[in-house]
Amino acid sequence: MLLPKFDFHEPTTIEEACQIMAELGQKAKLIAGGTDLIVNMKRKVLSPEHLVSLSRIDALKNVDLSDGPLRIGACVTAAALAESEGIKRTFSAFSKGASVLGTPLIRNLATIAGNLVSARPAADLPPSLMAYGAKVVLKKSAGERSVALEDFFRGPGQTVVGKDEILTEILIDKPLGYTGAGYIKLGVRKTLEISLVNVAAFISLDSQDGSIQRARIVLGAVAPIPIRVPSAEQILVGEKPTETLFVRAGETAAQDSRPIDDFRGSAEYRRDMIEVLTRRALEMAFNEARSHE
Amino acid sequence: MKRLITLTVNDKKYEVAVEPNMTLVDLLRYELGLTGTKKGCEVGDCGSCTVIMDGNPVNSCLVLAVQANGRDILTIEGLETDEGLHPVQQAFVDKGAIQCGFCTSGMILSAKNLLDRNAKPDEAEVRMAISGNLCRCTGYQKIVEAIKSASGWREGSGKSHE
Ligand SMILES: Cc1cc2nc3c(=O)[nH]c(=O)nc-3n(C[C@H](O)[C@H](O)[C@H](O)COP(=O)(O)OP(=O)(O)OC[C@H]3O[C@@H](n4cnc5c(N)ncnc54)[C@H](O)[C@@H]3O)c2cc1C
Ligand code: FES
Ligand code: FES
Repeated sequence: MLLPKFDFHEPTTIEEACQIMAELGQKAKLIAGGTDLIVNMKRKVLSPEHLVSLSRIDALKNVDLSDGPLRIGACVTAAALAESEGIKRTFSAFSKGASVLGTPLIRNLATIAGNLVSARPAADLPPSLMAYGAKVVLKKSAGERSVALEDFFRGPGQTVVGKDEILTEILIDKPLGYTGAGYIKLGVRKTLEISLVNVAAFISLDSQDGSIQRARIVLGAVAPIPIRVPSAEQILVGEKPTETLFVRAGETAAQDSRPIDDFRGSAEYRRDMIEVLTRRALEMAFNEARSHE
Repeated sequence: MKRLITLTVNDKKYEVAVEPNMTLVDLLRYELGLTGTKKGCEVGDCGSCTVIMDGNPVNSCLVLAVQANGRDILTIEGLETDEGLHPVQQAFVDKGAIQCGFCTSGMILSAKNLLDRNAKPDEAEVRMAISGNLCRCTGYQKIVEAIKSASGWREGSGKSHE
Protein backbone atom coordinates (compact mmCIF):
# COMPACT_ATOMS: atom_id res chain seq x y z
CA MET A 1 0.00 0.00 0.00
CA LEU A 2 1.71 3.15 -1.14
CA LEU A 3 1.40 6.45 0.59
CA PRO A 4 0.65 9.48 -1.58
CA LYS A 5 3.62 11.83 -1.92
CA PHE A 6 4.00 14.81 0.39
CA ASP A 7 6.57 17.24 1.75
CA PHE A 8 7.59 16.64 5.32
CA HIS A 9 8.17 19.29 7.99
CA GLU A 10 9.56 18.73 11.45
CA PRO A 11 9.32 21.80 13.64
CA THR A 12 10.91 21.55 17.09
CA THR A 13 8.87 24.26 18.81
CA ILE A 14 5.16 25.01 19.01
CA GLU A 15 5.75 28.51 17.59
CA GLU A 16 7.53 27.11 14.56
CA ALA A 17 4.74 24.60 14.00
CA CYS A 18 2.12 27.36 14.21
CA GLN A 19 4.04 29.41 11.69
CA ILE A 20 4.25 26.53 9.23
CA MET A 21 0.53 25.85 9.60
CA ALA A 22 -0.24 29.55 9.10
CA GLU A 23 1.69 29.49 5.83
CA LEU A 24 0.47 26.17 4.48
CA GLY A 25 -3.10 26.16 5.81
CA GLN A 26 -5.39 23.90 3.76
CA LYS A 27 -2.52 22.10 2.05
CA ALA A 28 -1.05 20.70 5.25
CA LYS A 29 -1.99 18.12 7.86
CA LEU A 30 -0.47 17.70 11.26
CA ILE A 31 0.84 14.24 12.09
CA ALA A 32 1.32 12.98 15.65
CA GLY A 33 1.25 9.20 16.15
CA GLY A 34 0.01 8.68 12.61
CA THR A 35 -2.25 5.77 13.57
CA ASP A 36 -5.28 7.51 12.13
CA LEU A 37 -3.73 9.72 9.47
CA ILE A 38 -1.37 7.18 7.87
CA VAL A 39 -4.23 4.68 7.56
CA ASN A 40 -6.41 7.33 5.89
CA MET A 41 -3.57 8.27 3.56
CA LYS A 42 -2.89 4.65 2.62
CA ARG A 43 -6.57 4.21 1.86
CA LYS A 44 -6.36 7.42 -0.23
CA VAL A 45 -9.06 9.09 1.84
CA LEU A 46 -6.59 11.93 2.39
CA SER A 47 -3.60 13.11 0.40
CA PRO A 48 -2.23 16.30 1.91
CA GLU A 49 0.60 18.05 0.07
CA HIS A 50 2.45 18.64 3.32
CA LEU A 51 2.75 16.76 6.58
CA VAL A 52 3.83 18.70 9.64
CA SER A 53 5.12 16.36 12.33
CA LEU A 54 4.65 17.19 15.99
CA SER A 55 6.87 14.36 17.25
CA ARG A 56 10.00 16.47 17.70
CA ILE A 57 8.32 19.07 19.90
CA ASP A 58 9.27 18.01 23.41
CA ALA A 59 7.03 20.65 24.97
CA LEU A 60 4.00 18.64 23.80
CA LYS A 61 5.02 15.49 25.67
CA ASN A 62 4.59 16.52 29.30
CA VAL A 63 2.07 15.42 31.88
CA ASP A 64 1.81 17.89 34.76
CA LEU A 65 0.15 16.44 37.83
CA SER A 66 1.34 19.10 40.27
CA ASP A 67 -0.87 21.93 41.54
CA GLY A 68 -3.83 23.20 39.57
CA PRO A 69 -5.52 21.31 36.78
CA LEU A 70 -4.02 18.18 35.28
CA ARG A 71 -2.25 19.32 32.09
CA ILE A 72 -1.57 16.80 29.37
CA GLY A 73 0.56 17.66 26.35
CA ALA A 74 -0.96 16.92 22.94
CA CYS A 75 1.60 14.26 22.05
CA VAL A 76 1.39 12.16 25.20
CA THR A 77 0.69 8.59 24.09
CA ALA A 78 -2.15 6.37 25.22
CA ALA A 79 0.46 4.00 26.68
CA ALA A 80 2.00 6.77 28.80
CA LEU A 81 -1.46 7.84 29.99
CA ALA A 82 -2.44 4.28 30.89
CA GLU A 83 0.82 3.69 32.77
CA SER A 84 0.68 6.89 34.83
CA GLU A 85 -0.10 6.00 38.45
CA GLY A 86 -1.02 9.59 39.21
CA ILE A 87 -3.64 9.66 36.46
CA LYS A 88 -4.99 6.28 37.54
CA ARG A 89 -5.41 7.52 41.10
CA THR A 90 -7.23 10.75 40.30
CA PHE A 91 -8.81 10.08 36.91
CA SER A 92 -9.48 6.34 36.90
CA ALA A 93 -12.08 6.43 34.12
CA PHE A 94 -9.74 8.31 31.79
CA SER A 95 -6.90 5.93 32.65
CA LYS A 96 -9.23 3.05 31.79
CA GLY A 97 -10.08 4.60 28.42
CA ALA A 98 -6.40 4.96 27.56
CA SER A 99 -5.70 1.36 28.59
CA VAL A 100 -8.30 -0.14 26.24
CA LEU A 101 -7.48 1.98 23.18
CA GLY A 102 -6.44 -0.21 20.25
CA THR A 103 -3.63 -2.62 21.03
CA PRO A 104 -0.39 -2.36 23.03
CA LEU A 105 1.41 -1.52 19.76
CA ILE A 106 -1.08 1.17 18.77
CA ARG A 107 -1.02 2.66 22.28
CA ASN A 108 2.72 3.26 21.97
CA LEU A 109 2.06 5.53 18.97
CA ALA A 110 -1.45 6.93 19.43
CA THR A 111 -1.57 10.39 21.04
CA ILE A 112 -4.31 12.04 23.04
CA ALA A 113 -4.64 15.00 20.64
CA GLY A 114 -4.80 12.64 17.66
CA ASN A 115 -7.60 10.75 19.38
CA LEU A 116 -9.59 13.93 19.96
CA VAL A 117 -8.99 15.60 16.60
CA SER A 118 -9.67 12.46 14.57
CA ALA A 119 -13.15 12.67 16.19
CA ARG A 120 -14.26 9.12 15.65
CA PRO A 121 -17.69 8.59 17.19
CA ALA A 122 -16.46 5.47 19.05
CA ALA A 123 -13.11 6.89 20.23
CA ASP A 124 -12.03 5.84 23.71
CA LEU A 125 -10.69 9.05 25.22
CA PRO A 126 -13.48 11.61 24.64
CA PRO A 127 -16.25 10.15 26.84
CA SER A 128 -14.38 10.18 30.14
CA LEU A 129 -12.65 13.47 29.33
CA MET A 130 -16.05 15.04 28.68
CA ALA A 131 -17.41 13.53 31.87
CA TYR A 132 -14.54 15.12 33.83
CA GLY A 133 -15.26 18.45 32.12
CA ALA A 134 -11.94 18.66 30.23
CA LYS A 135 -10.88 21.65 28.14
CA VAL A 136 -8.45 21.83 25.25
CA VAL A 137 -6.08 24.61 24.28
CA LEU A 138 -5.87 25.52 20.59
CA LYS A 139 -2.94 27.62 19.41
CA LYS A 140 -2.10 29.51 16.27
CA SER A 141 0.40 32.23 15.45
CA ALA A 142 -2.22 34.90 16.09
CA GLY A 143 -3.08 33.64 19.58
CA GLU A 144 -4.70 30.87 21.55
CA ARG A 145 -8.13 29.91 22.83
CA SER A 146 -9.50 27.33 25.14
CA VAL A 147 -12.55 25.23 24.28
CA ALA A 148 -14.57 22.91 26.48
CA LEU A 149 -14.41 19.39 25.06
CA GLU A 150 -18.20 19.40 25.11
CA ASP A 151 -18.17 22.10 22.43
CA PHE A 152 -15.30 20.59 20.48
CA PHE A 153 -16.83 17.92 18.24
CA ARG A 154 -18.87 18.79 15.14
CA GLY A 155 -19.45 15.41 13.50
CA PRO A 156 -17.55 12.27 12.54
CA GLY A 157 -14.01 13.44 11.77
CA GLN A 158 -14.97 17.06 12.39
CA THR A 159 -14.04 19.42 15.20
CA VAL A 160 -13.79 23.16 15.84
CA VAL A 161 -10.02 23.09 15.24
CA GLY A 162 -9.14 25.60 12.52
CA LYS A 163 -6.82 24.78 9.59
CA ASP A 164 -4.01 26.79 11.15
CA GLU A 165 -4.62 25.70 14.74
CA ILE A 166 -2.77 23.16 16.84
CA LEU A 167 -4.25 21.46 19.87
CA THR A 168 -1.43 21.85 22.37
CA GLU A 169 -2.82 20.82 25.72
CA ILE A 170 -5.69 19.12 27.50
CA LEU A 171 -6.68 20.49 30.90
CA ILE A 172 -8.78 18.76 33.52
CA ASP A 173 -9.65 20.34 36.85
CA LYS A 174 -8.83 18.00 39.71
CA PRO A 175 -12.11 16.76 41.13
CA LEU A 176 -12.59 17.88 44.72
CA GLY A 177 -14.21 16.04 47.59
CA TYR A 178 -16.38 13.01 47.10
CA THR A 179 -16.17 12.48 43.36
CA GLY A 180 -15.79 9.46 41.19
CA ALA A 181 -16.09 8.28 37.62
CA GLY A 182 -16.36 5.13 35.55
CA TYR A 183 -15.78 4.16 31.93
CA ILE A 184 -17.02 1.06 30.15
CA LYS A 185 -16.19 0.06 26.58
CA LEU A 186 -18.38 -2.60 25.08
CA GLY A 187 -17.12 -4.60 22.15
CA VAL A 188 -17.18 -8.21 21.09
CA ARG A 189 -13.45 -8.66 21.67
CA LYS A 190 -11.15 -7.60 24.47
CA THR A 191 -8.69 -5.83 22.23
CA LEU A 192 -8.38 -4.29 18.77
CA GLU A 193 -11.98 -3.31 18.98
CA ILE A 194 -14.14 -0.42 17.95
CA SER A 195 -16.79 0.05 20.62
CA LEU A 196 -20.41 -0.85 20.05
CA VAL A 197 -21.24 1.48 22.87
CA ASN A 198 -19.09 3.23 25.40
CA VAL A 199 -20.27 5.03 28.50
CA ALA A 200 -18.56 7.37 30.94
CA ALA A 201 -20.15 8.62 34.13
CA PHE A 202 -19.02 11.17 36.69
CA ILE A 203 -20.68 12.03 39.98
CA SER A 204 -19.91 14.15 42.99
CA LEU A 205 -21.58 13.74 46.37
CA ASP A 206 -22.09 16.45 48.95
CA SER A 207 -20.73 14.13 51.65
CA GLN A 208 -19.66 10.54 52.00
CA ASP A 209 -23.22 9.31 52.58
CA GLY A 210 -24.85 12.34 51.03
CA SER A 211 -26.80 13.19 47.91
CA ILE A 212 -25.57 13.62 44.38
CA GLN A 213 -24.40 17.16 43.72
CA ARG A 214 -23.37 16.91 40.11
CA ALA A 215 -23.62 14.17 37.51
CA ARG A 216 -22.42 13.78 33.94
CA ILE A 217 -23.18 10.88 31.66
CA VAL A 218 -21.49 10.66 28.27
CA LEU A 219 -22.31 8.09 25.59
CA GLY A 220 -19.98 7.24 22.72
CA ALA A 221 -20.57 5.37 19.45
CA VAL A 222 -24.34 5.99 19.53
CA ALA A 223 -24.40 9.35 17.75
CA PRO A 224 -22.17 11.22 15.28
CA ILE A 225 -20.29 12.68 18.26
CA PRO A 226 -19.98 11.68 21.92
CA ILE A 227 -23.06 13.05 23.67
CA ARG A 228 -24.15 13.97 27.17
CA VAL A 229 -27.55 12.86 28.38
CA PRO A 230 -28.96 15.78 30.38
CA SER A 231 -32.29 14.05 31.03
CA ALA A 232 -30.59 11.16 32.81
CA GLU A 233 -28.25 13.52 34.66
CA GLN A 234 -31.20 15.53 35.98
CA ILE A 235 -32.75 12.45 37.50
CA LEU A 236 -29.64 12.04 39.65
CA VAL A 237 -28.94 15.53 40.91
CA GLY A 238 -30.14 16.23 44.45
CA GLU A 239 -31.04 12.58 45.06
CA LYS A 240 -29.56 9.98 47.36
CA PRO A 241 -27.67 7.43 45.27
CA THR A 242 -29.53 4.11 45.21
CA GLU A 243 -29.70 1.17 42.88
CA THR A 244 -33.22 2.13 41.78
CA LEU A 245 -32.06 5.64 40.97
CA PHE A 246 -29.23 4.34 38.79
CA VAL A 247 -31.65 1.96 37.05
CA ARG A 248 -33.95 4.89 36.26
CA ALA A 249 -31.04 6.95 34.94
CA GLY A 250 -30.05 4.03 32.70
CA GLU A 251 -33.57 3.69 31.35
CA THR A 252 -33.76 7.40 30.61
CA ALA A 253 -30.38 7.40 28.87
CA ALA A 254 -31.55 4.50 26.70
CA GLN A 255 -34.86 6.20 25.86
CA ASP A 256 -33.25 9.49 24.96
CA SER A 257 -30.48 8.15 22.73
CA ARG A 258 -30.75 7.34 19.03
CA PRO A 259 -28.26 4.60 18.22
CA ILE A 260 -28.11 3.17 14.69
CA ASP A 261 -28.19 -0.31 13.17
CA ASP A 262 -24.98 -1.44 11.56
CA PHE A 263 -22.99 -4.62 11.05
CA ARG A 264 -21.55 -4.40 14.56
CA GLY A 265 -24.91 -4.40 16.30
CA SER A 266 -28.55 -3.45 16.04
CA ALA A 267 -29.97 -0.22 17.39
CA GLU A 268 -32.16 -2.23 19.73
CA TYR A 269 -29.19 -4.08 21.20
CA ARG A 270 -27.26 -0.85 21.57
CA ARG A 271 -30.18 0.79 23.36
CA ASP A 272 -30.42 -2.12 25.80
CA MET A 273 -26.71 -1.90 26.41
CA ILE A 274 -26.86 1.85 27.06
CA GLU A 275 -29.34 1.10 29.82
CA VAL A 276 -27.16 -1.53 31.47
CA LEU A 277 -23.82 0.20 30.97
CA THR A 278 -25.06 3.58 32.19
CA ARG A 279 -26.22 1.92 35.38
CA ARG A 280 -22.91 0.12 35.81
CA ALA A 281 -20.80 3.19 35.03
CA LEU A 282 -22.79 5.13 37.63
CA GLU A 283 -22.22 2.39 40.18
CA MET A 284 -18.49 2.55 39.48
CA ALA A 285 -18.55 6.33 39.81
CA PHE A 286 -20.51 6.13 43.07
CA ASN A 287 -18.21 3.53 44.63
CA GLU A 288 -15.22 5.66 43.79
CA ALA A 289 -16.88 8.85 45.01
CA ARG A 290 -17.64 7.29 48.36
CA SER A 291 -14.03 6.30 48.92
CA HIS A 292 -12.40 9.45 47.49
CA GLU A 293 -11.83 12.60 49.43
CA MET B 1 12.63 15.17 -2.23
CA LYS B 2 14.68 12.54 -0.47
CA ARG B 3 15.95 13.21 3.01
CA LEU B 4 19.03 11.92 4.69
CA ILE B 5 18.29 10.19 7.98
CA THR B 6 20.43 8.27 10.45
CA LEU B 7 19.07 5.55 12.63
CA THR B 8 20.37 2.65 14.66
CA VAL B 9 19.01 -0.74 13.74
CA ASN B 10 20.10 -3.70 15.85
CA ASP B 11 23.03 -1.71 17.24
CA LYS B 12 24.27 -0.79 13.77
CA LYS B 13 24.19 2.80 12.53
CA TYR B 14 22.71 3.46 9.11
CA GLU B 15 22.63 6.62 7.04
CA VAL B 16 20.04 6.45 4.28
CA ALA B 17 18.25 8.78 1.93
CA VAL B 18 14.51 8.17 2.00
CA GLU B 19 11.40 9.63 0.42
CA PRO B 20 9.10 11.16 3.07
CA ASN B 21 6.31 8.77 2.06
CA MET B 22 8.34 5.65 2.80
CA THR B 23 7.27 3.72 5.88
CA LEU B 24 9.69 2.27 8.40
CA VAL B 25 8.74 -1.29 7.47
CA ASP B 26 9.59 -0.60 3.81
CA LEU B 27 12.87 1.00 4.80
CA LEU B 28 13.80 -2.07 6.83
CA ARG B 29 12.73 -4.59 4.22
CA TYR B 30 13.60 -2.96 0.92
CA GLU B 31 16.47 -0.59 1.71
CA LEU B 32 18.23 -2.40 4.55
CA GLY B 33 17.34 -5.94 3.47
CA LEU B 34 15.99 -6.87 6.89
CA THR B 35 13.08 -8.99 5.73
CA GLY B 36 12.47 -10.61 9.11
CA THR B 37 9.98 -7.84 9.77
CA LYS B 38 6.81 -8.85 7.92
CA LYS B 39 4.13 -6.84 6.24
CA GLY B 40 0.57 -8.12 6.54
CA CYS B 41 -2.33 -5.68 6.67
CA GLU B 42 -0.26 -2.47 6.45
CA VAL B 43 -2.85 -0.56 8.49
CA GLY B 44 -2.02 -1.39 12.11
CA ASP B 45 -4.32 -4.35 12.60
CA CYS B 46 -2.09 -7.42 12.50
CA GLY B 47 1.22 -6.66 14.24
CA SER B 48 3.36 -8.68 11.82
CA CYS B 49 5.43 -5.51 11.25
CA THR B 50 6.22 -5.05 14.97
CA VAL B 51 9.61 -3.54 15.77
CA ILE B 52 10.87 -2.06 19.03
CA MET B 53 11.51 1.68 18.67
CA ASP B 54 13.29 3.46 21.54
CA GLY B 55 12.22 0.62 23.82
CA ASN B 56 8.56 0.42 22.78
CA PRO B 57 7.02 -2.09 20.36
CA VAL B 58 5.17 -0.34 17.53
CA ASN B 59 3.59 -1.13 14.16
CA SER B 60 6.34 -0.15 11.70
CA CYS B 61 3.77 0.11 8.88
CA LEU B 62 2.35 3.21 10.60
CA VAL B 63 5.68 4.92 11.21
CA LEU B 64 7.30 7.01 8.49
CA ALA B 65 10.97 6.31 7.89
CA VAL B 66 11.66 10.02 8.41
CA GLN B 67 10.02 9.78 11.83
CA ALA B 68 12.55 7.09 12.74
CA ASN B 69 15.38 9.55 12.20
CA GLY B 70 17.71 9.39 15.21
CA ARG B 71 15.81 6.53 16.80
CA ASP B 72 16.96 3.16 18.01
CA ILE B 73 15.25 0.22 16.32
CA LEU B 74 15.35 -3.44 17.27
CA THR B 75 14.08 -6.00 14.77
CA ILE B 76 13.87 -9.77 14.98
CA GLU B 77 17.31 -10.00 13.32
CA GLY B 78 18.80 -8.25 16.37
CA LEU B 79 17.83 -10.88 18.92
CA GLU B 80 20.20 -13.73 18.14
CA THR B 81 23.71 -13.43 19.55
CA ASP B 82 26.89 -15.48 19.31
CA GLU B 83 25.50 -17.57 22.12
CA GLY B 84 22.55 -18.55 19.99
CA LEU B 85 18.89 -17.72 19.80
CA HIS B 86 17.31 -15.37 22.29
CA PRO B 87 15.55 -17.39 25.02
CA VAL B 88 12.16 -16.26 23.72
CA GLN B 89 13.09 -17.43 20.21
CA GLN B 90 14.33 -20.74 21.57
CA ALA B 91 11.13 -21.21 23.56
CA PHE B 92 9.03 -20.65 20.42
CA VAL B 93 11.03 -23.37 18.66
CA ASP B 94 10.92 -25.76 21.59
CA LYS B 95 7.21 -25.35 22.26
CA GLY B 96 6.06 -25.60 18.65
CA ALA B 97 4.77 -22.03 18.71
CA ILE B 98 5.65 -21.46 15.06
CA GLN B 99 3.59 -22.75 12.15
CA CYS B 100 3.71 -20.62 9.00
CA GLY B 101 5.91 -18.13 10.84
CA PHE B 102 4.36 -14.97 9.49
CA CYS B 103 3.36 -13.63 12.90
CA THR B 104 6.43 -14.95 14.67
CA SER B 105 8.80 -11.96 14.44
CA GLY B 106 6.18 -9.62 15.85
CA MET B 107 5.03 -12.08 18.50
CA ILE B 108 8.58 -12.61 19.73
CA LEU B 109 9.32 -8.89 19.90
CA SER B 110 6.11 -8.17 21.82
CA ALA B 111 6.91 -11.08 24.15
CA LYS B 112 10.50 -9.97 24.67
CA ASN B 113 9.31 -6.47 25.51
CA LEU B 114 6.88 -7.88 28.07
CA LEU B 115 9.53 -10.02 29.74
CA ASP B 116 11.99 -7.12 29.84
CA ARG B 117 9.45 -5.19 31.90
CA ASN B 118 7.82 -7.99 33.81
CA ALA B 119 9.96 -11.08 34.35
CA LYS B 120 7.12 -13.21 35.70
CA PRO B 121 3.91 -12.29 33.88
CA ASP B 122 0.72 -14.23 34.49
CA GLU B 123 -1.27 -15.67 31.63
CA ALA B 124 -3.57 -12.65 31.35
CA GLU B 125 -0.56 -10.34 31.09
CA VAL B 126 0.98 -12.55 28.41
CA ARG B 127 -2.22 -12.54 26.38
CA MET B 128 -2.57 -8.78 26.73
CA ALA B 129 1.02 -8.20 25.63
CA ILE B 130 0.51 -10.08 22.37
CA SER B 131 -3.01 -8.79 21.79
CA GLY B 132 -1.85 -6.55 18.93
CA ASN B 133 -0.27 -9.52 17.14
CA LEU B 134 -2.60 -11.75 15.19
CA CYS B 135 -1.85 -15.39 14.45
CA ARG B 136 -3.96 -17.30 11.94
CA CYS B 137 -2.31 -20.68 12.55
CA THR B 138 -1.56 -21.66 16.11
CA GLY B 139 -4.65 -20.67 18.05
CA TYR B 140 -2.25 -18.81 20.38
CA GLN B 141 -2.07 -21.57 23.00
CA LYS B 142 1.47 -22.72 22.15
CA ILE B 143 2.62 -19.12 21.80
CA VAL B 144 1.37 -18.37 25.29
CA GLU B 145 3.04 -21.52 26.61
CA ALA B 146 6.31 -20.59 24.94
CA ILE B 147 6.28 -17.11 26.45
CA LYS B 148 5.49 -18.49 29.88
CA SER B 149 8.27 -21.05 29.63
CA ALA B 150 10.72 -18.32 28.58
CA SER B 151 9.68 -16.13 31.46
CA GLY B 152 12.20 -17.56 33.87
CA TRP B 153 15.15 -16.93 31.57
CA ARG B 154 16.68 -14.03 33.43
CA GLU B 155 17.26 -16.14 36.51
CA GLY B 156 18.44 -19.00 34.29
CA SER B 157 21.99 -20.27 33.85
CA GLY B 158 24.25 -17.74 32.12
CA LYS B 159 21.72 -17.46 29.34
CA SER B 160 21.17 -13.73 29.72
CA HIS B 161 21.40 -11.91 26.44
CA GLU B 162 21.56 -8.36 27.68
C1 LIG C 1 -5.47 -0.89 14.50
C2 LIG C 1 -6.04 0.36 15.11
C3 LIG C 1 -6.86 0.26 16.23
C4 LIG C 1 -7.41 1.40 16.80
N1 LIG C 1 -8.18 1.26 17.91
C5 LIG C 1 -8.70 2.34 18.51
C6 LIG C 1 -9.49 2.20 19.69
O1 LIG C 1 -9.72 1.09 20.19
N2 LIG C 1 -10.00 3.31 20.26
C7 LIG C 1 -9.77 4.55 19.75
O2 LIG C 1 -10.24 5.52 20.32
N3 LIG C 1 -9.03 4.72 18.63
C8 LIG C 1 -8.49 3.65 18.01
N4 LIG C 1 -7.75 3.81 16.86
C9 LIG C 1 -7.61 5.15 16.27
C10 LIG C 1 -6.32 5.92 16.60
O3 LIG C 1 -5.30 5.05 16.95
C11 LIG C 1 -6.51 6.90 17.75
O4 LIG C 1 -7.55 7.79 17.46
C12 LIG C 1 -5.23 7.70 18.05
O5 LIG C 1 -5.36 8.27 19.33
C13 LIG C 1 -4.92 8.77 17.05
O6 LIG C 1 -3.77 9.46 17.50
P1 LIG C 1 -2.49 9.69 16.56
O7 LIG C 1 -1.50 10.43 17.37
O8 LIG C 1 -2.04 8.42 15.96
O9 LIG C 1 -3.16 10.63 15.46
P2 LIG C 1 -2.68 10.99 13.98
O10 LIG C 1 -3.02 9.89 13.07
O11 LIG C 1 -1.28 11.48 13.99
O12 LIG C 1 -3.65 12.23 13.73
C14 LIG C 1 -5.05 12.06 13.66
C15 LIG C 1 -5.70 13.38 13.26
O13 LIG C 1 -5.52 14.35 14.27
C16 LIG C 1 -4.83 15.49 13.77
N5 LIG C 1 -3.94 15.92 14.85
C17 LIG C 1 -3.05 15.13 15.53
N6 LIG C 1 -2.47 15.84 16.53
C18 LIG C 1 -3.00 17.09 16.46
C19 LIG C 1 -2.80 18.28 17.24
N7 LIG C 1 -1.94 18.31 18.29
N8 LIG C 1 -3.53 19.38 16.92
C20 LIG C 1 -4.39 19.37 15.87
N9 LIG C 1 -4.61 18.27 15.11
C21 LIG C 1 -3.93 17.14 15.41
C22 LIG C 1 -4.12 15.03 12.53
O14 LIG C 1 -3.93 16.08 11.61
C23 LIG C 1 -5.10 14.00 12.00
O15 LIG C 1 -6.11 14.62 11.29
C24 LIG C 1 -7.15 2.68 16.25
C25 LIG C 1 -6.33 2.79 15.12
C26 LIG C 1 -5.78 1.64 14.55
C27 LIG C 1 -4.90 1.78 13.35
S1 FES D 1 1.47 -4.80 8.65
FE1 FES D 1 1.65 -3.40 10.22
S2 FES D 1 0.12 -4.03 11.56
FE2 FES D 1 -0.24 -5.29 9.89
S1 FES E 1 2.21 -19.06 12.78
FE1 FES E 1 1.12 -18.56 11.02
S2 FES E 1 0.25 -16.65 11.56
FE2 FES E 1 1.08 -17.31 13.39
